[in-house]
Amino acid sequence: MKKGILKLVLVIGGFITINSASAQIADTIATQCARHLENQFISDGQQYRALLMNSDETAEFHTTLYGGTLYRIAACSGLSDGNLIFSVYDSERNLLFTNSEFKNAPFWDFKITNSLDCVIEAKLSGGANGSGRAVLLIGFKQQK
Amino acid sequence: MRLKFITFRSAFLFLSVTALFAAGCGDGDGKDPDALPPIDSTQTTILNVNGEIFSIPSPIQTAFLIKGSGAAYSKEILNPSNKASDYSTNFSKALNLGIYGADLGYVTIYDQNQDAIGYLNAAKKLADELGVSGAFDANTIERFAKNLGNKDSMLVLVGVAYRSSDAYLKNNDRSDVSGLVLAGGWLESLHFATNVYKTKPNEDVKRRIAEQKTSLQSLIKLLTQFYSQPEYTEFIDNLNDLSTVFDGVEFKYTYEKPTTDADKKMTTITSKSEVNITPEQIESITQKVKSIRSQIVG
Repeated sequence: MKKGILKLVLVIGGFITINSASAQIADTIATQCARHLENQFISDGQQYRALLMNSDETAEFHTTLYGGTLYRIAACSGLSDGNLIFSVYDSERNLLFTNSEFKNAPFWDFKITNSLDCVIEAKLSGGANGSGRAVLLIGFKQQK
Repeated sequence: MRLKFITFRSAFLFLSVTALFAAGCGDGDGKDPDALPPIDSTQTTILNVNGEIFSIPSPIQTAFLIKGSGAAYSKEILNPSNKASDYSTNFSKALNLGIYGADLGYVTIYDQNQDAIGYLNAAKKLADELGVSGAFDANTIERFAKNLGNKDSMLVLVGVAYRSSDAYLKNNDRSDVSGLVLAGGWLESLHFATNVYKTKPNEDVKRRIAEQKTSLQSLIKLLTQFYSQPEYTEFIDNLNDLSTVFDGVEFKYTYEKPTTDADKKMTTITSKSEVNITPEQIESITQKVKSIRSQIVG
C-alpha cells in the first residue's frame, strides 16, 4: 500500500516537474525570439507555437496584416538564430517573402500598404540544429 | 507534410527526469547551445484547429486607426475599469480581460494616463483571479507607472503583458481561456470602430469594420472546440449570427509583386484589395456587436 502511494506521488511529481520544464523551454525560446521585437515593436499579445518533428513538416499561421502598418515577424527554433525558415503567402498562395533567400534571417519587417489576409508557413531548416519547437512572434508599429 | 500542432507540455510527458536534470544543470563544456531535451513524437496532443494556427490582430491597432481618423476621446465607449469586481466566473473574467486590454490600449493612445492606470489595475485584477501569474507582476506595473506619458513604451509593455498571459495560458492547457481573452479584445475593438463610424463616418474606419470578417471566422474556429461548454454555446452562437452578417461583405484582391530591401530587412507589400460593405450591413454589425458586448460587460 505504502509502495503504491509512493509510486503515485513520484509519477504525479514527475508529471508536474516535466510539464513545468517543457513550459520553461518554450518560454526560453520565446524570450530569445522576443529580443527581435522588444522596445521597437508592440507585440500583438500572442505567442504562436508549433512542434515540428522534421524538416518536411510545415506549420501554418493565418493572420490579417493591416494597411498603414509596419510589422516585424520573428521566427525562432532552438536557442540560436537561423534554424527556422518562414515564408509569407497571400490568400491566393502567391509567395510574398521567404527568409530562406536571406540566410534564414530570424526576423523581417513588412511594410503593408493595403490590408491583406496571409499565411505564414514555418519549417525547420534542413541542416540546422533547431529544437523542433517553432515560435513565431508578431509586432507592429503604426505608420500613420 | 502538414505537422501536428501540439502543446509543448504534452510533448514532454514521460520524458526522462535525467534529461530534465541535465537541462537544469546548465551547459557543459562543448555542448551544443541548441541542445534541448528530445521530443517524443508519440506523446502529442492536437492543440489547434485542423493543424492551423490563427492570429487575431491586436485591438490596439484599431485604436490607433480611430485616433488617426480624428475621433475625439470618448470614455463612454469603454467598459468602466471599476467594474472589474463584478465578474465572478472565469468565462466573464477572461472576456473582460480582453476588453480591458483593448480599453487600456485606447486610453494610452489618447494620452489619458490616469485612466490608463485604472485599466492596468483592472486587467491585473482579472489576470490574477484567472491565475495568470506573472503577466501583470509588480515589475510590469512599476515599469508602466514609470513610463507614464511615454506612449510607445507603455504600449510595448501592454503588448508584452498580454503575450505573457497568452503564453502562460497555452503552457497550462488553458487555450479556452486564451481564446476568450482574444475574443474580448477583438469584440471591443470592433465596438470602438462601429461607435466611431456612427458618430463620425470615415472610409478607413468603415474598411476596418469590413476587415473583421476574416478575424471573426478565425475566432469562431478557435472557440468552436469548446462549444459544448454551456457558457460558450450562447457566445459562439452569437458570433455565428454576427458572421452571417459579414457573409455579405465582399473583397476583391489584386496581387502585386512585393519589393524587398535586403539591407533594411524589409519587404513592402503593395497588393490591393477593394471592399464592399453596405450601410445596412454596418448597421446590423453595430447592433449585433452592441448586443453581444452588453451581455459580456453587464
